[in-house]
Amino acid sequence: MAAHIPEVYQVRLPNGMNLLGVEYRRVPWVSLTFMAKRGSETDPAGKAGVADWTVEYLTLGTGRRSQLQLAQEVDSLGAHLGARGDWDASRLTLEGLAEDFQELLAILAEVVQTPAFPEEELILLRERRRAELAQILDEPRELASRRYYRLFFGEAPYGQAVRGEPESLEAIELSDLKSYYYREINPLAASLVVVGMIPFSRVEAEVQRLWGTWKGGGQPSPPYTSAPAKLCSPGLYLLDRPEWTQSEIRLGHLGLPRSHPDYFPLRLANYVLGEGGFSSRLMTRIRSELGKTYGIKSLFHFRRAPGPFTVSTFTPAAHTAEVVQEIVAVIRDFRDHGPTSQELAEAKSYYVGHFPLTLETPRAISRRLQSMDLYDLGLDYLQHYTDRINAVTLEEAQRAAQTYLKPEALVILVVGPAAHCRESLAALGPLTLIADQ
Amino acid sequence: MSWSRSLDPSGWQPDIPIVSYSLDNGLKLFVLPDDTVPVVSVQLHYHVGSRNELPGITGISHLFEHLMFRGTETLGPEEFARILQSKGGEVNAFTTRDHTSYFENLPTTHLELALSLEADRLRALKLDEENFQTERQVVVSERKLRSVDSPFGLVVEQLFATAYTQHPYAWPIIGWDQDLRRLTLRDCLSYFRSYYHPGNLALVIAGDVQPEIAREMVGRHFGDFPGRSAPEALIVEEPPQRGERRAIFKKVSMVEAFFAGFHVVGLGHPDIYPLTLLAVILSGGKSSRLYQEFVRPGRAAEMQVELSPPPWTSQDADLLIMTAVAAPGTALAALEADLWKTLERLEQDGVEEEELARAKKLLRSQTVQALSKNFYRGLMVGLFYLKTGDASLANQVLGRYEAVTREDIIRVTRQYLREDNRTVVILKPVSPEESQRLGALA
Repeated sequence: MAAHIPEVYQVRLPNGMNLLGVEYRRVPWVSLTFMAKRGSETDPAGKAGVADWTVEYLTLGTGRRSQLQLAQEVDSLGAHLGARGDWDASRLTLEGLAEDFQELLAILAEVVQTPAFPEEELILLRERRRAELAQILDEPRELASRRYYRLFFGEAPYGQAVRGEPESLEAIELSDLKSYYYREINPLAASLVVVGMIPFSRVEAEVQRLWGTWKGGGQPSPPYTSAPAKLCSPGLYLLDRPEWTQSEIRLGHLGLPRSHPDYFPLRLANYVLGEGGFSSRLMTRIRSELGKTYGIKSLFHFRRAPGPFTVSTFTPAAHTAEVVQEIVAVIRDFRDHGPTSQELAEAKSYYVGHFPLTLETPRAISRRLQSMDLYDLGLDYLQHYTDRINAVTLEEAQRAAQTYLKPEALVILVVGPAAHCRESLAALGPLTLIADQ
Repeated sequence: MSWSRSLDPSGWQPDIPIVSYSLDNGLKLFVLPDDTVPVVSVQLHYHVGSRNELPGITGISHLFEHLMFRGTETLGPEEFARILQSKGGEVNAFTTRDHTSYFENLPTTHLELALSLEADRLRALKLDEENFQTERQVVVSERKLRSVDSPFGLVVEQLFATAYTQHPYAWPIIGWDQDLRRLTLRDCLSYFRSYYHPGNLALVIAGDVQPEIAREMVGRHFGDFPGRSAPEALIVEEPPQRGERRAIFKKVSMVEAFFAGFHVVGLGHPDIYPLTLLAVILSGGKSSRLYQEFVRPGRAAEMQVELSPPPWTSQDADLLIMTAVAAPGTALAALEADLWKTLERLEQDGVEEEELARAKKLLRSQTVQALSKNFYRGLMVGLFYLKTGDASLANQVLGRYEAVTREDIIRVTRQYLREDNRTVVILKPVSPEESQRLGALA
């Protein structure tokens, strides 16, 4: 084992909860994450945001303390308590100085195990989210991505925004959050990840004491693992934003789940296509050669169920149609021929060389542990990571590009000033104008 | 990881080991050895930013940063980034008001490659008209992204342009649109000759390397550049503000907002520490005064006091900025009036000992967390050196925060957060039609 790869500890508590940890020696810091392995995938229809609101609600008051008392306690330790929903999981993270480990772990246990769901907080939370949403919808990139997922997945789980949609603001009630909590926040489908300057023996003893007897509510929902039967039809869509000077472009199709055996070949192929910055085909063509954008990226969103494959960029409105055409041409060419052996070698050496940089901080190590646990990658994942990268052959990477890129099935969304791009876009093919939601 | 190290937080010291060298040609080198992870952060900080520009060529520092990636006599465009990235490196650059910084975070085994490529682009940068035009287009698109189409970009630009009347912090780092369109390749080449040489460069190597070995490598690649002294120090000052300034910016927006800027101090001034703590007391964390009064009850989507903390504070007097975004249904004027009342109360009644202790602990903990990265350790040393001439200040930050008293907090509140020292810009939402009637955004 290379010296910089940390040893990962794991213990299963009597209540079924998983504890994972790494001893970190560089600075006296500790990162604690409680991860419930259900996320916004289980939000009820029309109530997007329930998972995310629920974990935030846990921080708004417990049986012992109000929101203000909790916040004062956390702030007085110089710590940060964050709560976020995600597609496949919901997390509460508390980070602070290692000297305060015991207090921090107790606060996290109190928040997760004994929430009071104070009624008066709902109105405040709703107002905060309303204000946040108004701000988000002014951000071109955010707006375009949200609208794209909604267009692509419709009402299916990955189509609704994790933080909530305008219509769910009014629809969510306190009973939704409580029933989410008592169903999904459960030791049987949860883990605690501790990375910090604390011996693991002490971590284990404290966790056993504070978490070992917690029971949680009922039976968590079965995890969401398969793509919806019906998705948006391929084609070209336009949402008008007359006041913008640039167009935001999103295009893509359905991708693969994290558990897919072709994960590594596809990851490497996509690095060459659009994830590898200036090494990527898309950046080389659209930015370096044509100067039409500041940035462009392609991503396979690997989740428990098949997530989307997306290309994201923006360009001054007059270039919109040309950029769409160029992107499709790059994808098509890459699908047909795949990476060259030199490109693949560079992609591999990037991931291998970059690996130690992803293990530098407690937060980064914690993220690694969380995804190993969430997607059942095995406790020895870090030890074999570089071997798995190096084992990918040129044929495998080319076959991955050929099999999983579908330039003929692209759903293409442009959000921008129609007056400056509609005509040239319509020349590319049938164009559907869509409304805000 | 070196397993011999202790797991006992009480034995830990915040000191960054700093070994410094000066080359004959004026280059200043700082090596910060740490063998936790087999990687290094290589940072080249050139002492030139938008502060060194003049009206008519605003944005040239940042545009030039882009041009440094466009190839040399032996490398094609973007090949610099591609080669180092293929070794696992994080390769990037950023331009601020005071400096232009290039960095590579990568495995130590490729340190020498990074140094040789950095020396190559300093020695043999190749710029032609075609490259220049392509990159200028990229920057014009970047300006649209960051300023024109971003919710508050142009409003904040208006704030700086109103608050600074004589100092170059008046214009944005990315430059005015018309200047970007007017700049020529010749302007850029002359800028390069003035500011890009070892005498104007601080090189930092932080991470898993022995100082003497790093010194030898740097000597091999940078030692034979001809010696030149640093450009004459540019001394610019904004005269004291004599009365509140207000402006309105109309644009399509879902929200109403205002931005209030107060002239404060630069990085070298000791008041930066109480001022940073004051910003935290006001809006750091969910128990802070502004969060509890405005954000938690849903009156404001955002109510934030921002002052770039050391080492990010600018070299000359910076702006402390209060950002208030009204929640739908809250009147902006009432929000503003209430904010000034909150400040008055703080001035009259002072702060609680616990409030100050909380703020200190928050900054201590943020600093400790950041010190887990070589990249941040390098920035601390490089930026303190460049902006104050004293790299050792990087190791004094925690002590300086600790020494601040409640009286200091009241004193800086009275001294800097005065109405006469305030500039307020209001974002007033208009319809798309009215926005078009007002003319093009640029």
